[in-house]
Amino acid sequence: MLLDINAHVGHWPFKQLKNNSCATLLERMNKFDVEMSVVSNLNGVFYKDTQAANEELFEEIRSDKRFKTRFIPFAVINPIYAGWQNDLERCDKEMDMKGICLYPLYHDYEILDPACVELIKSARDRGLIVTFSHRIVDSRQRSWMDISKEWSMTDIMPIIKEVPDAKYFVVNAANSIMLSDEDTEILKKTNMLFDTSGRNISNLGEMIKRYGKDKFAFGTHSPILDYLGGLLRIESLRENEADELTKQLLRSENAKRLLGL
Amino acid sequence: MSAAGFMVGAGINTFESKAQPVSSSYDIMREVMKYRKIDAHAHINFSPGDVDKQLDFADRLGIEKLSISRPITGNVGTHEEVIKHNDLIIKAIKSHPDRFIGFFTLIPTFAKESLEEIKRCVDSGMSGYKGYLQVKVNDPSYYPVIEKLIDHKMICFMHAYSGIGRGGYRTKYGNLYPNESTPEDFIDISTRYPQAIFQWAHLGAGGDWEYQCKALKDYPNIYADTSGSNNAGNLIDYALKYFGEDRLLFGSDLSYYQSVSKILAANLNESQRKKIFFDNYNNLLRKGGYNVA
Repeated sequence: MLLDINAHVGHWPFKQLKNNSCATLLERMNKFDVEMSVVSNLNGVFYKDTQAANEELFEEIRSDKRFKTRFIPFAVINPIYAGWQNDLERCDKEMDMKGICLYPLYHDYEILDPACVELIKSARDRGLIVTFSHRIVDSRQRSWMDISKEWSMTDIMPIIKEVPDAKYFVVNAANSIMLSDEDTEILKKTNMLFDTSGRNISNLGEMIKRYGKDKFAFGTHSPILDYLGGLLRIESLRENEADELTKQLLRSENAKRLLGL
Repeated sequence: MSAAGFMVGAGINTFESKAQPVSSSYDIMREVMKYRKIDAHAHINFSPGDVDKQLDFADRLGIEKLSISRPITGNVGTHEEVIKHNDLIIKAIKSHPDRFIGFFTLIPTFAKESLEEIKRCVDSGMSGYKGYLQVKVNDPSYYPVIEKLIDHKMICFMHAYSGIGRGGYRTKYGNLYPNESTPEDFIDISTRYPQAIFQWAHLGAGGDWEYQCKALKDYPNIYADTSGSNNAGNLIDYALKYFGEDRLLFGSDLSYYQSVSKILAANLNESQRKKIFFDNYNNLLRKGGYNVA
């Protein structure tokens, strides 16, 4: 089975998206045999009150019984905006969201901002996964109103070092994931996954050797990216790069382990 | 318990009921290998082993032939460098005639030398031209080069870019490279030489592909390759709307996975996939007899 750890619904204010609702995402999942998807609402990137986006996602999933079994909702939380603690409580306990997505570049705070550290520790204590993305869209094609900065793995490492016992997804690895030997060892001990959607997952066989077969999981970054890049990186691995058991880890088992499924 | 047989938590995604049945018929590698492919935008470099590395990616993804070039990317360039780069390509096509199609590069401001180099490269089995950003494609220094390409029925394949705020048409924000060819430059030269064949490089290179598609829609001798690291979700569907199914060319520009996945994920029919992966480009090569059998 395939479990996508990086899908979205919602809108991008600078460009029309397709397949950006639960219904259309489900069509894509059925077409390409993806059984479940972690999904968050892109609107939360732009709403000042991100909880409104989480409520939208909650209602959308509740609107169709087919969605309940196929989507794993993640919340978008901004830790420097008032009331995030209450929002997190509701997303966790009432909406049964399994993780959170943080967008420090868009929400304008540093990754080691005390509020961010507090949020991640709270997520850790609740067993929620914390998701960071190298970027949402390619900054080369950005709107003049969009941000220009993107991240690489070295930008995310400080928070992993600060809260090493949290669970992390690092998605759309568009830029370097190469780290010093010291940080590589830290990452290998961290309960984290890279999704396979990012352009810098350019030689997955070598990356598995470096970081371990327990560090990668299928992801699409849909609908921002095409639906199949992450899958192709896995399925085109040769037997000497990833045997069938390893491919199963990448397709779903690593994700299930972190999600507690 | 979900359809996959695992228990999840309570709440809206309790998964307590059976998931909708999902067919397990989609085999992406079967789809990948189903289509013949020519990579209309490939490169090799001077590193030892690079040829083997590129062919390994091609083999993995069922890419039969690669149109390779080695433009001068790091500086203004000299004609001596042009010769060195073209020699690299000549060597590669001679060692792998079954896999590589050679495209030569030039710096057209070296006017006399460029015409001599075209003859040398044609005589050595090259099949087309790849320019970079030393000179815009509509600069007058390009006219004699393009006229030669017309004579040889060769593709004029140019690096190209437009991005809001970075390069190209919104000059008030500053160009990345002053001589980078924009859609407007392509329109200018393609109108001057309607019999020439122009290839807009890498719709997926990160520039504003929506702008590029809209700008180039009405110019039938401008083709676009779909290469580049950006595999935006709607790129191919959008490009199809503007370029049509006969003017899009499959290419990687070394971003192999995205290059194939963006075509497979797009809403294309079988005929359109075959055209984009293979036929459209092969038909252009056929005009000069450089096609794949």
